[in-house]
Amino acid sequence: MIRAVIVDDEPPAREILREFLSAEEDVEIVAECANGFEAVKAVGEHDPDLLLLDIQMPKLDGFEVLSLLDRSPIVVFVTAHDDYALRAFEVHALDYLLKPFSEDRFRTVMQRVRNQMRQPRPAVAPLGSQLRAKPLQRIVVKSEDGSIQVVPVSRIDYIEAADDAIVIVTGGAKLRKQQAIGDLGNELDPDRFVRIHRSYLLNIERLDKLELYAKDSRVAILRDGTRLPMSRSGYARLRELL
Amino acid sequence: MNARLVFYAVAAVTAAALVSSVLLLWRPDVPIGPIVVAALAPSLVLGFIGLASRYLCRAMPLRGTTATRMITTHGGSAAAASGVWVLMWNASSKALHQTPPAFLPLFILGVLLYVEIVIVYYLFLEVEASREAEDAALRYQVLAREAELRAFKAQVDPHFLFNSLNAVASLCGSRPADAREMAQRLAEFFRLMLRVGALERITLGEEIDLVSRYLAIEKVRFGERLRTHIDVDDAAARCMVPPLLLQPLVENAVRHGIASVVEGGTIDIAANLHDGTLRIRIDNPADPDRADARGEGIGLQNAAGRLSAVSDGRARLNAAEDAGRFRVDIELPR
Repeated sequence: MIRAVIVDDEPPAREILREFLSAEEDVEIVAECANGFEAVKAVGEHDPDLLLLDIQMPKLDGFEVLSLLDRSPIVVFVTAHDDYALRAFEVHALDYLLKPFSEDRFRTVMQRVRNQMRQPRPAVAPLGSQLRAKPLQRIVVKSEDGSIQVVPVSRIDYIEAADDAIVIVTGGAKLRKQQAIGDLGNELDPDRFVRIHRSYLLNIERLDKLELYAKDSRVAILRDGTRLPMSRSGYARLRELL
Repeated sequence: MNARLVFYAVAAVTAAALVSSVLLLWRPDVPIGPIVVAALAPSLVLGFIGLASRYLCRAMPLRGTTATRMITTHGGSAAAASGVWVLMWNASSKALHQTPPAFLPLFILGVLLYVEIVIVYYLFLEVEASREAEDAALRYQVLAREAELRAFKAQVDPHFLFNSLNAVASLCGSRPADAREMAQRLAEFFRLMLRVGALERITLGEEIDLVSRYLAIEKVRFGERLRTHIDVDDAAARCMVPPLLLQPLVENAVRHGIASVVEGGTIDIAANLHDGTLRIRIDNPADPDRADARGEGIGLQNAAGRLSAVSDGRARLNAAEDAGRFRVDIELPR
């Protein structure tokens, strides 16, 4: 049995998937989701084999949904946009259905799904960071209680490394995320975020001034008065940018 | 003004001063040679003073300066220029051991020469202004054309068509009658859009009709999430507007507004005519955290460009986002 989850924010788009899937005898639809939040929740609850996933949705887009999954269903994107195809295959999506699609095309995809099901499933979703839009426009954080927060990068003051995680500081609020600061730094807009220190990534729009407190060592003072240490190479990177 | 023009101006004024003073002041008892030599220095000075009067003319354009101010300022500076010119005459006559010419005719000649310079400058400025006005009109025409072209290209997001066709395909299975209706609506919408897109102007009522058809199609896709409220008064509906002015903005309201909000919301379109100004407002919910807001920027720029082109820059378009709502306000003087 193939256990499938349908994710699309448009009711008619879900309807045609439901119709086509119900004609397949070995498929069971375990959930239908109208947005990315529901999708993340449904995958966590049902651990489906197949995820039919729209890309443009409110709150979380299809790629952001994938980055939040801790399971790895077979993913088939279903979208009217052909310009995401390359990225879709980078996240190891099995196939890419362009709306509107024919029933024949759908059957072919389902046949590929069945073939894939016979292969051993990878343990961890090989998805995530490297495949989202670059530069990153939003950071998606899943907290321990399962709630999801979407932070536009323009709202970030700075990012601090904390052991193997990072703390994202936005207007005094702090969000913890499991990620290496270097990896995140590579995804952010290099004209906006500067690694001013081994442990700090600064949104330069928040920078008020630099202060020299000893020979060759400086602190960055943010608009809200926060003081962040700055390494010599960090200062060089900042100077290069400004 | 470039350097060569300045040189010609000085040369022309100097020559005019020289010739007219010689003609006026020539007396049979004095040989012509010394008069020409004596007139040279003061004429050159008047030439440079005349050059400076250009700044006065620029500061006081013909339109927008009161007659009193014009007469007092130019009168004062004419008297001053002529005073300097008389003094120079006296000095140069003395240097050449000649009797200086009588004061009054010399002074009047100085004033006349100054006035002549001013008139020439004003003529020059007028020619320049009318050429600029022609340029501006041409620029507006070109802008209007460009905006039309861009609007035509940007009119409809092709994904609207793909998604709508997907909805048609979907309805075919469960509700064939609805599918047929949706296909018809799509055809009517595109036909209407092509028809009005070719016109110079349509009434706001016609534009609203087009927008309503578009929204009816989107309602099939978005279901409960898309609600609309349209309130256009009769006088506003009769106003002429460029075609497809609102369509891209309403498309933005759906694509970046409704589509970005999980629970959807209401798109409010209102228009009224008040004191000869047509005011249109499009107000829709939008997620402030949506990933990509660039598309709306292009749509808004297009609309603003077309408005400016059709109204010679008198129309206004304002976009503001606040508390989860996106609002576009258009003011179009009739």
